[in-house]
Amino acid sequence: MKIKKELIIREIAGDTILVPVGKTVYDSNGLFVLNELGAFIWKLLPAATNENDIMEAVLREYDVSREEAQKDISEFLEKLKDMGIL
Amino acid sequence: MQIKKNTEPYLSTYLHGKGRKLGLPIAGNFELTARCNFNCPMCYVHMTPEQLKASGKSELTATQWLEIAKQAKDRGMIFALLTGGEPLVRKDFFEIYRGMKDMGILISINSNGSMLTGEVLEKFLADPPARFNISLYGGSNETYTNMCGLPVYDRVKNNIRALRRAGVDVSLNLSITPYNQQDIAWIYADAVELDVNVKASSYMYPSIRVNGEQYGCGNRLRPQEAAALGHAWDKLRFSKEEFRLRMESICNLTQIEPDGCPLEEGEGVQCRAGFTSFWMTWDGRMLPCGMMPGPTAYPLKTGFEKAWEYIREETAKIRTPAQCVHCTKKSVCSMCAAVCVTESGAYDKVPSYVCRQTDESIRLAQEFCEKG
Repeated sequence: MKIKKELIIREIAGDTILVPVGKTVYDSNGLFVLNELGAFIWKLLPAATNENDIMEAVLREYDVSREEAQKDISEFLEKLKDMGIL
Repeated sequence: MQIKKNTEPYLSTYLHGKGRKLGLPIAGNFELTARCNFNCPMCYVHMTPEQLKASGKSELTATQWLEIAKQAKDRGMIFALLTGGEPLVRKDFFEIYRGMKDMGILISINSNGSMLTGEVLEKFLADPPARFNISLYGGSNETYTNMCGLPVYDRVKNNIRALRRAGVDVSLNLSITPYNQQDIAWIYADAVELDVNVKASSYMYPSIRVNGEQYGCGNRLRPQEAAALGHAWDKLRFSKEEFRLRMESICNLTQIEPDGCPLEEGEGVQCRAGFTSFWMTWDGRMLPCGMMPGPTAYPLKTGFEKAWEYIREETAKIRTPAQCVHCTKKSVCSMCAAVCVTESGAYDKVPSYVCRQTDESIRLAQEFCEKG
């Protein structure tokens, strides 16, 4: 899945932060912070071809139901799309 | 019309809070050069090429700056301010700027705004910083000539316009001095027109880094004048109601007697300096804050980690004057550790200039409240 914006991932004091670079600075209004699941999904994005790839990886990593995982993944990906990141 | 107000993003406050607990250098200030194309009389950094040569010191190379930034980033730095002098006089500025951005560091730049033209401007529009802090020195070419030595007011204003048109975040810094005090209403009008925030100060630190141990001295306003101009600036920037509330608040706060017994020891450093932020001077010294003469560490000799730990330990030992803790004017006063040491030569000595400025600010507020 293609990340459209220029963002660098940083781990600071236990937080996962996306730092905008290039022209992304114009419309990012600073930094993005990811929760644990968000950070996990973010790292999967470049290799994932669709949402199902992410789903399988999340189910392998976390003890959650398929429904719960689906809801969290969709919510996160929608947010990224709304922000023009994905 | 009022000017735009800037508030710090919550995430930045949160990171500094967490950094303070964990001892992380969240923000670094990098004074890339002491050189500047301006020659302002109150500057605490600027050295002419002749002074620079006589000092026997040299600026760090781009490679050295990037090495320090990398080590700071590995320790937790996420925000960096590139400042000077005028940082854009460095021919290798963009090598440092891009190198730090590529590390995932959010960059702000302090500049006088006069060199943001042509290719330099194009480069910034294609790859902007998180914020440009531009120092505005007057409201006319004449004032710029008197204060900075160059008639570039129109050019600076046009450059700010170009940045704003492109959507770059710009904030203005205004130092109110004997040379530009007559221009503050014009400068305010400029800020409204440009739709930018202005951070103004009529207090100027003594330039002890340039002038040696001349504590309490400087090309600046007298304390009573500084107070009057601070009062005048507040009148410009606040609505009538906000200004009235501010004046009433000053009058009320100074009537509250502090609790408890007088202390023998003053408070520690109250800001982020030396706790979550550091300052690198152009010649490679690490300080808690650019205004403080020390403690000093040398990251190029010891590595960043040891330098930062030393700065943290020594900053934690600093104490401001015990008298200030129980002063009834404390809530109105702008005293800090850097003010004390630059005014008096010691962190724990009362900065009398600031006491006089505060007294006058209070008198003006009382006068306003009495008149109704």
